[in-house]
Amino acid sequence: MNIEPSIHEFGGSQELPEERHEVMIVGGGICGMQAALDLGDMGFKVLLVEKEPSIGGVMYKLSKTFPTLDCASCISTPRMASTAHHKNIAVLTYSEVREAVKEGEGNFRIRILEKPRYVDSATCTACSLCEKACPVLVPSEYDWNLSGRKAAFIPFDTAVPKIALIDMDNCIYCGACERACPVGCIDFLQTPKWHTVHVGSIVLATGFRLFDAKLKPTYHYGEYPNVITSMQMERLLSPTRPTHAIVRPLDGKEPGNIAYVLCVGSRDDTIKNTYCSQVCCMYSIKQAQLLMGALPLADVSIYYIDIRAFGKGFEEFYVQTKAMGVNFVKGKIAKIEQQKNGDLTLFYEDIENGGRLSKASHDLVVLAVGILPGGNPAQVFKGEELMLDKIGWIKSPDENSSPMMTSIPGVFAAGTAIGAKDIPDSAVEGSGAAMDAAAYLRTLDRKRPGNKKEGGPS
Amino acid sequence: MTEDKSWPRIGFYVCHCGGNISDYVDVEKVRQVLAEEPGVVVARDVMFACSDSSQNEMVSDIKTYKLDRIVVASCTPRLHETTFRNVIDRGGLNRYTYYHANIREQTSWAHTDDKEGATIKAIRHSRAAVAYARLAEPLESLKAPVVPSVLVVGGGIAGIRAALDLADAGIAVHLIEREPFLGGRAAQLSNSYPQDRKGSEIVARLIAEARRRDDIAIHANAEVVGLDGCIGNFEARIRLNPRYFRTSRMQVKAPGPLNGETPSRFNYGLSKEGPVVMPPFSGTYPEIPYLDRENCSGDYIKSISETYGDAVDVNQKSEDLTVKVGAVIVATGFDPYEPKEGEFGYRTHPNVVTLQQLHRLVELNMLRDVHKIAFIYCVGSRQVRTDEEEVNEYCSRYCCNAAMNISLVLLRLRDKLGGDLRLYHLYRDIRTYGKNETLYEEALKKEVVFVKYSEEDPPVVSALGGRLTVTVKDLLTVLDDRLEIPVDMVVLVTGMVPRQSNEALYQIMRVAKGTDRFLLEIHPKLKPVETAMAGIFITGTCQGPKDMRETLASAQAASSKAAAITLMAELELDPFVASVDPNLCNLSKACVAECEYGAIEFKEIPGLGQKASVCGAKCKGCGSCVAVCPTGAVQLKGLSNNQLKAQIEALGRKVEI
Repeated sequence: MNIEPSIHEFGGSQELPEERHEVMIVGGGICGMQAALDLGDMGFKVLLVEKEPSIGGVMYKLSKTFPTLDCASCISTPRMASTAHHKNIAVLTYSEVREAVKEGEGNFRIRILEKPRYVDSATCTACSLCEKACPVLVPSEYDWNLSGRKAAFIPFDTAVPKIALIDMDNCIYCGACERACPVGCIDFLQTPKWHTVHVGSIVLATGFRLFDAKLKPTYHYGEYPNVITSMQMERLLSPTRPTHAIVRPLDGKEPGNIAYVLCVGSRDDTIKNTYCSQVCCMYSIKQAQLLMGALPLADVSIYYIDIRAFGKGFEEFYVQTKAMGVNFVKGKIAKIEQQKNGDLTLFYEDIENGGRLSKASHDLVVLAVGILPGGNPAQVFKGEELMLDKIGWIKSPDENSSPMMTSIPGVFAAGTAIGAKDIPDSAVEGSGAAMDAAAYLRTLDRKRPGNKKEGGPS
Repeated sequence: MTEDKSWPRIGFYVCHCGGNISDYVDVEKVRQVLAEEPGVVVARDVMFACSDSSQNEMVSDIKTYKLDRIVVASCTPRLHETTFRNVIDRGGLNRYTYYHANIREQTSWAHTDDKEGATIKAIRHSRAAVAYARLAEPLESLKAPVVPSVLVVGGGIAGIRAALDLADAGIAVHLIEREPFLGGRAAQLSNSYPQDRKGSEIVARLIAEARRRDDIAIHANAEVVGLDGCIGNFEARIRLNPRYFRTSRMQVKAPGPLNGETPSRFNYGLSKEGPVVMPPFSGTYPEIPYLDRENCSGDYIKSISETYGDAVDVNQKSEDLTVKVGAVIVATGFDPYEPKEGEFGYRTHPNVVTLQQLHRLVELNMLRDVHKIAFIYCVGSRQVRTDEEEVNEYCSRYCCNAAMNISLVLLRLRDKLGGDLRLYHLYRDIRTYGKNETLYEEALKKEVVFVKYSEEDPPVVSALGGRLTVTVKDLLTVLDDRLEIPVDMVVLVTGMVPRQSNEALYQIMRVAKGTDRFLLEIHPKLKPVETAMAGIFITGTCQGPKDMRETLASAQAASSKAAAITLMAELELDPFVASVDPNLCNLSKACVAECEYGAIEFKEIPGLGQKASVCGAKCKGCGSCVAVCPTGAVQLKGLSNNQLKAQIEALGRKVEI
């Protein structure tokens, strides 16, 4: 979601008493939640830190998931609830890990900044009256700018925790929310809180960021309204969609001839990401299937370099999609031009027909944007170097024996923090990293004289 | 809302599921009709019943309205029955007074063409659930002690990784390998990726680690022949097959003239071995030879006893061992696809080899004077479905990466191979996903020619005048003609297939297979290593093609799940088991004969004498005994005949909308 307001330290900040947990998970997406749940089930006390106002990561924004077509919120929503209610898991949302210092094996000192919501989380009932009262409308992160939200808002319907917050960067200090709130929980004087936490082990599940399609200027994303990204299409196809039908942004027309441009921001040296993003082929194929259902008369074409349907059930899903009539064209799109009516002309090399330069007209273009390393987990470690690869993904020093370990003993990384991957692989790695952390802590326990834990405040 | 003091107070929630349900079912109508059902005190429709805010609403309703039963009409109970049981647990109710109506899989998704019909059906299902809930009695979960150890089946990279992690977490492990030596398929790779290392070295290091842990008992040349019990408390029967050798390798002379006749399995038939089979790589376990006794003549056995003296015992017999474990991890790996005779010249021409054989050729230094090599991709994978035979429709995932990696290795070895080296890759799609793209990128810059072929027009391998030639139509060039490529060697990039020899084991484990014939997980995202058999987990390539990295991650995921069970002292199990009313039991013994799980026996009941009695931990709640009991003495807890009748009656009632 990336709500990253500037921190307004009007009244300084507040230091909270020190705490101890056995494992800290950084990132509350599908991988981080899985790691927390597994460790919690094993009996470890876990702190899950999420920088956004709600846990859930990216998955809850998706429509359905490949290759089984089960609905994304049906899987992620209850997972969010069970994470929040697990007796061994403490969740800290809207909070950022700012510093991690290793003070010895099994002992990390962490500084976490909890950003002010300007809403008292203990008393807010998520009635959304503040949201209704707020006069400020800004683009919604949840809907990837396809709809709006208020400056005082609840992140989304199924947010965990479901608490309002005020986006102070856009607030006009009119006080409407404060007057509307029936329980008086709006608090403009809230200050950031610093948590100091001691943990034995860390799992980094910091996820990814999407490639910014504006960096491919020949596709004119952000300039031609009918060129959208695949994540925007996910929202349009989702049961919690911003519009009740699939329409193109320029004129609200129902598209009849949709093009997918694959490898936008992947396998591309010009934008310094030569890796493949591993998910775009499959999510595009999935969206094509969903579009065939939603718009039975529409044509869907997918322009590709290679179709990478490599995982369990993927190839079968691809074959099925071809049989449904989706048009697969081998050829990388060189550029897109806009026609007078908002339709778009795609220029490409038609590889399987002699390699000649060809043109095609479509009324909606979806850019299958790739995924890149998110955040910068390496910079929070003081005095230790977290090894990254050339693109910036966290890298295991021993991938063929222990893929989720990092260059710092006791710190493990999983999911899209260590490379592009899909939901099943992210969930598996979340569990795997949980095992790593458990094995690390129990091994240390056995090495300690008298089997007792030491150090840190109690 | 109808109120009656004798009825329980029921909260009813019907879910929109975003639109998954409400696009086809009139959810508001369902709510209205159900609000009038006897006992229903609160009826609500919610966007996502499983969301945290809806859960909190239920918890607060339980308190506000003094509810004592909850019914949710939403998706399949397989997905969220446990979710909602936990909710009412939090609300302070007995978790088994919850009941679930499936109006998504069985209603909205099944009847997208008939909204009125779907709504009526949803109402019927919801009424039946409420009828059930009215009769639901609070039940206590069964408590069962957990055995703090795990059985890991398969001594390849997945099994060893899982064993190591579990031992480090403080859990005892029995690691079983059917082959005479540990190591599995990874040890057969000359070069791995992303780290370019010898497979056997990676495996040997993991084996050395495993041997350092007291908590890991390793049994090679052993197989699981029986499994009883249930999650938390399995009893596995393990057969230790005779290896006929007793001493360490150091004391055993090299097999020397004991001329082998059997194609080496480790070297994929590229060498001969046996009957004395030496450890295939340094660092395997155990490093003691194995005698392939089935391929020994009487004379040979005599000579072998003379040669090896005390080190060999030709009369060794198999032994059975019983171990108790709390969980089981199945890590039984894959078989490489074996091309049919003549498939792309395989076995009709000696220089047509598989990808797996190429790894052995490289490691054994057996490649000489090869200058031109053609790689044909997708052999045994992505096969086009036909009606006549079973095909492998799936993509084998690792082979593009592996073919690319070994090509780069060959190019680095070029001087040893005779200088000039040119590689032709005949592919359908290059699937070097993720970071593996780096391998492809590097190959593109080197002496590798890429030719894209169509599945309808695959390459043809022929031997013209003794010279191997590959003929192919290249989709990447404008030429109409076919390319004729004379080569010295053809490498068939063969994928993974499920292991043929594991059928008996899978029967014992009662694990299911998917349409691709690999083992099937419950749910690829929610339960990716879990099987329908609670406490039995699958990992690695027995579940589907994976590379080494992915196999390790999956092994660690399985060990995490197994650890969560075995680190608990006690396990709570659902109480939906049979129970006997001793006053009604007339000793017909019909139930004992019917029970497949041996869960019913006769016990002395004070004052009543011998009566049938159910062992809760063994009972699966199948209900067979209920059906055969002549007096109705046996009932299933949580699913009594009265509840079933009430549900049927509710289903049949007329719906007016």
